[in-house]
Amino acid sequence: MIFRDLEELGILGINNRVGRYILRHNKRSNYPLVDDKVLTAQRAETWGIAMPQNYMIIENYGSLKNFHLKIQNYESFVIKPANGSQGNGIIVIKEIIKEERNGITRILCRRSNDKLMDIEEVKHHISGILSGLYSLKGHSDTAIIQAKIDKHSIFDNYSYGGIPDIRVIVFEGYPVMSMVRLPTKSSDGRANLHQGAIGAGINLSDGSTNNAVIKNQVVDIHPDTGHKLVGLKIPFWRESLELAAQCYDMVELGYLGADIVLTPDQGPILLELNARPGLGIQIANLAGLVPRLEKIRLKAPKNLLAHERVDFSMKNF
Amino acid sequence: MKKLIFIITTLLITAPLAMLLYKSQVLNLSLLPQMVDDVWNFHLTVRPKGDRTSFSFPIPKPGPGIKITDERIRSKNFEVFIDSNSDSTLATWSAKDPIKQKVTYSARIDLKPLSYKNIPKDHTETYPKGLQRYLKTLNLLPEDVAAISLLEKAILEGNEDKTSVIRKIYYYVEEEIQRNTNIKTIHEALTNGKGSPLIKAKLFNILARRQKVPSRIVVMVRMPELKSTAQAKVRFTFANEVFLNNKWIPIDTNRGYFGERPDNFMVIHRNYDEVEKIISKKRVSYSIQAERARINRFNKSEFKKEVVKSDSIFSKLSLYRLPLPLQTMFTTILMIPLGTLVLSIARNVIGIPTFGIFTPILLTLFFKETSFGFGFVFFFVVVLVGIGERYILDKFYLLAVPRLSIILTLVIMLMIGYSLFSSDIAMISQNHLAFFPIVIVTTNIERLSIMLTEEGLANTLKTLFGTLVIAILGYLLYSIHALEMFMFTNPELLFTIIGFLILIGKYKGYRLSEFLRFRDLVRQKKKKTEGISNDIP
Ligand SMILES: Nc1ncnc2c1ncn2[C@@H]1O[C@H](COP(=O)(O)OP(=O)(O)O)[C@@H](O)[C@H]1O
Ligand SMILES: [Mg+2]
Repeated sequence: MIFRDLEELGILGINNRVGRYILRHNKRSNYPLVDDKVLTAQRAETWGIAMPQNYMIIENYGSLKNFHLKIQNYESFVIKPANGSQGNGIIVIKEIIKEERNGITRILCRRSNDKLMDIEEVKHHISGILSGLYSLKGHSDTAIIQAKIDKHSIFDNYSYGGIPDIRVIVFEGYPVMSMVRLPTKSSDGRANLHQGAIGAGINLSDGSTNNAVIKNQVVDIHPDTGHKLVGLKIPFWRESLELAAQCYDMVELGYLGADIVLTPDQGPILLELNARPGLGIQIANLAGLVPRLEKIRLKAPKNLLAHERVDFSMKNF
Repeated sequence: MKKLIFIITTLLITAPLAMLLYKSQVLNLSLLPQMVDDVWNFHLTVRPKGDRTSFSFPIPKPGPGIKITDERIRSKNFEVFIDSNSDSTLATWSAKDPIKQKVTYSARIDLKPLSYKNIPKDHTETYPKGLQRYLKTLNLLPEDVAAISLLEKAILEGNEDKTSVIRKIYYYVEEEIQRNTNIKTIHEALTNGKGSPLIKAKLFNILARRQKVPSRIVVMVRMPELKSTAQAKVRFTFANEVFLNNKWIPIDTNRGYFGERPDNFMVIHRNYDEVEKIISKKRVSYSIQAERARINRFNKSEFKKEVVKSDSIFSKLSLYRLPLPLQTMFTTILMIPLGTLVLSIARNVIGIPTFGIFTPILLTLFFKETSFGFGFVFFFVVVLVGIGERYILDKFYLLAVPRLSIILTLVIMLMIGYSLFSSDIAMISQNHLAFFPIVIVTTNIERLSIMLTEEGLANTLKTLFGTLVIAILGYLLYSIHALEMFMFTNPELLFTIIGFLILIGKYKGYRLSEFLRFRDLVRQKKKKTEGISNDIP
């Protein structure tokens, strides 16, 4: 049987993920809470879970009219579609520049890749989001203008362009497996594995990276910075896992992917949640999910608090 | 729960199979209608010579070994009168002005070989009035009559039954008269021992009638060889029929058939005497074309009779009771679940990516209802339109529904354009729903352009390829005509399909594609563990 190796390693396949874990443990009615970033943010606020501050929620073309006035209250911001995925439609603006020429003021936005965008172009992009251009279902969408998160200094040598995020798979409230996604030049600063970002597996016990891959290939050093990828210790590790574990209580999805970013000042905050997290995390960790999931299903005590569940995970995985 | 699913699935899969067994073993029903031989597309073109306002020509008439369907007579500028009172059919075209134009007749003709083995002895003395004209002796020159009498003395021994007499006459004409197309009179034939096919038939006719056996010359068309080019020109040829034991028995002294007629000969008229003048080259010019109709047909009507006769519950449930257009529709529709089975396996067991869930099946239907080549090309044009539209309309930021509707409208315009400027639309025009599937596919086309921007060309092409592979697989399924008929004849198999779909739906094993995806993981892991164990000693 050609699948014997996969079985021995306990690799989770798509059919198994859907049939045994997602369909059984995730209630359909709770999906919108994670699929729509606006709803996630609202829920997170009542639960006291930190997320990037949302400056504006733009739901229709009308509210775009005085966008250029309102935006001047901020120094930097991020535009993202509420129902987007895989980084599509996201623009990170790190600076707003006011230019005065012949009595006409022009507002320019500097993107994280240093390209300049006129404010009208930015508005244009937002109307694209509203028309559903980046929504996977193709429906019209809502645009979120939120605070730009800065990179934690620990990642200075490990990421190119954007900020890295930490993915934690949470099963029945227990962190199961984790990886940090590090943007590269070829991923255009985006933290998406299939675009060529690095995926580095993390030991749940101590928050240190154990292995790293780019597009399924093991790598030792960051191709853009040259730094060694294994052995990096993630700060605020326990806090990050507790944050991820709390998300289970918040959205009540048994099989969940939490994306967490480290802020320089606030510690870990939640960036987004995912009801159908990908399976590439197993490659980043060179380990299968099935044994861990089954251990939780069969051995883990029920009705624990988030921090107790984290204890269990840190001890076992 | 698991047990319940197991029981349901087993029941769903096996019950219809048991039903098949019951139908075939207990009720003795066939599970498939019999195949009908290929049919011929037959075209006859006639044009009268001279200034005539009316003329006649024989057209095929159904009879032993010949079935005719889809008869068509172009008669725009004339009146057509069909006389099928005798053993043959004559069509008469007439008009106010002299006919200067070709007239055409076409039909689908199904030929079966005739074979009468062991014809019993025949001592019939008197024949009914209707057969008298086949006994009339013809006017011959006195010296020919003398020659024939001599001949009869030599080959016949008197006092034999009519079947034996005819057999002897047949052997004589078949073997002793050599084929020679230049010999065109009985006189020459008798003196030289040679004759054209028509003369041989005439001689046989004379000899048979002199022995008081009703006999006639039949005008035949020899169908072209299967291997020869699709449309071959065909001319009339001649043979005989004699009335023995109350049956017309075919005899062909030119090609050596006694009591037999192979299925590449079609009788167009059963009494040459009546049409001799009508078909003479002086009065008309004609051309005949015949080609094999490509499709094999199943004999549904026979099967319907069989099912009804069985008087079982199946005769009430059979789809053969439906009116024909509905039957055609269901033959197509019943294959769709089979397609979904293929699709489910491809997606969930193999892991082939596709656009939209049912796009491959819609494409299959589109290919089937139009044609593969056309469908394929048209699909690609639609893809291009979709991508182009997205590229252009992106700039306008239109809302989703109007945007999709624009692509839809563009595709419809494409169809109009195609229909206006293409001549081979005919094949599609009969099926007014032929384009329907592609219209639905259109709504998925946007996916493709989104994917193109989000996941890059390589992934998009992979998915496009996957979609097409499954669509083609489905198309191949459809091309197995027997499978189509099998589903139509035994629709209870749909339950079996549901059973298999449940099995696939419950499949939690790896997809074949995951074997590739995690191949590196396995390799790396092995390398690492080996590395560790090497360190230990
Ligand atoms: N507030 C933010 N500040 C800085 N970068 C951000 C912010 N939000 C998103 N990003 C960048 O965009 C990527 C995708 O954002 P995310 O919210 O996960 O959306 P998606 O659902 O499309 O993955 C993140 O990995 C990060 O690199
Ligand atoms: Mg994300």
